[in-house]
Amino acid sequence: MDASGKTSTGPDIAGLCGLVIAVDDPGRAADFYCRVLGCRPLGADILPNAGSHRLVGLAGGGIIALARSAAREDVSDSGVHLALSASAAGRDGVARALAAESIALHRYREDRAAEQDDRFYFSDPDGNRLQIVARPGIPGPGVASIDHVGVQVPDMMWGEEFYGKILGLSVESRFGLRTADHARARIWARGEDDMAPGTRRNDRLYMMMGGQKEVPRTNMQIYFRAGDGIIGVYLATRHVQEPPEEDLSGAPRVLVAAKRAALDGAAERLAAARRPFRGPVEHGAASPVAASLYFKDTGGNFIELCALRGG
Amino acid sequence: MAEIQSLNHSAICVHDLQEAEDFYCGILGARMASSTDFVTEDVVKGRSLHKSIILSDYLIALMLARDFMPMPADAQNRGAHGFRHAFYVPRARFDELLSVLRGGKVPFEGPVEHPAAGPFGASVYLKDPSGNFLEFLWRRDEGASYDVVQGVGEG
Repeated sequence: MDASGKTSTGPDIAGLCGLVIAVDDPGRAADFYCRVLGCRPLGADILPNAGSHRLVGLAGGGIIALARSAAREDVSDSGVHLALSASAAGRDGVARALAAESIALHRYREDRAAEQDDRFYFSDPDGNRLQIVARPGIPGPGVASIDHVGVQVPDMMWGEEFYGKILGLSVESRFGLRTADHARARIWARGEDDMAPGTRRNDRLYMMMGGQKEVPRTNMQIYFRAGDGIIGVYLATRHVQEPPEEDLSGAPRVLVAAKRAALDGAAERLAAARRPFRGPVEHGAASPVAASLYFKDTGGNFIELCALRGG
Repeated sequence: MAEIQSLNHSAICVHDLQEAEDFYCGILGARMASSTDFVTEDVVKGRSLHKSIILSDYLIALMLARDFMPMPADAQNRGAHGFRHAFYVPRARFDELLSVLRGGKVPFEGPVEHPAAGPFGASVYLKDPSGNFLEFLWRRDEGASYDVVQGVGEG
């Protein structure tokens, strides 16, 4: 709420327009993303504050910066992932290309109704978990746009405060708060429900209750609408090293498209919440984005709120 | 003999924590006291998933039930589904409570008038979204101190 007691509406967000993905070798990664996923090369080191990187484009206009990053946290057991959308034919084409590379596909289930069908998961050569989801109305082969991302935070209430109240995103769905979620977790614990990493956990009880030492649970998740994209926030099930407090741009990073005026509003909200940020920074003509506001969420996940050219 | 002074709090099971929070805090006006198992530290310890709310001056821990509980019939708003919590509301604000319930589309039974000789004036009966019975009542003896627990047969 603002001072007048009105509910905040947050910045005018259009959707998820880009990703910065941490890789060992940007050139090798760009080759993979273009050859296997159907991205197109856009150049090298042209996205501001992304370090040494190769930039590739998606058919729908989104960008992916494959940035060199030596030290990366292994979060393969978490809900952290990046989901790209494609047509049904495009999804099948990517599946065939991955098979030709001997890259394993996984058909994990997720809790969101929108992710029950028409999707698969795999890891790129640098270990980043990707998901391909088929969406209607998407033309052409290969991946077309960024559908959603999964990040993790150490405090779900703080995370909801950040995404919901400071950024003003609305909640699409929640999981882990219902008895029905517990019932499904028991099915998973019996090995009868192949759920995606980060969606289930087996808690070791600090007090034995009725002789039970472990209990399966659905890990808490909140999905926020970010324009036509989704940011899925997962509760981290173990402590993860966050980037240094002073770092406000880095990899991995989610680029969220907004109108230019919205960057100023978001900066005011972050300042009011005493959250660190940098910008808005105006970029030169060579940059694919016109201006950026850099900050982190309450889990140390990098976010770039950016104004697209002509937006 | 132990010196037990009064009832301190209750822990009740619900089927949906968010729904329960929306009901107790959003409709009845309770305030959130604490949330457990929403942070990594609690996950590491394997703590139970629950939220504690304070309704007026009484703390209720809303525990997520691991298993589905038998629910009373939809049309039944009055009963003791294992227990029933009854809260006192000043008579002058009783109609306001009814408006809140109607505004929140919360089904209830009543107000049910009680015998004029007793301390209770009237009650409304309802359930939370998980089927836990609740009662709200006004008392004829509003000036009485409730720190003193009345003995059986005195009320």
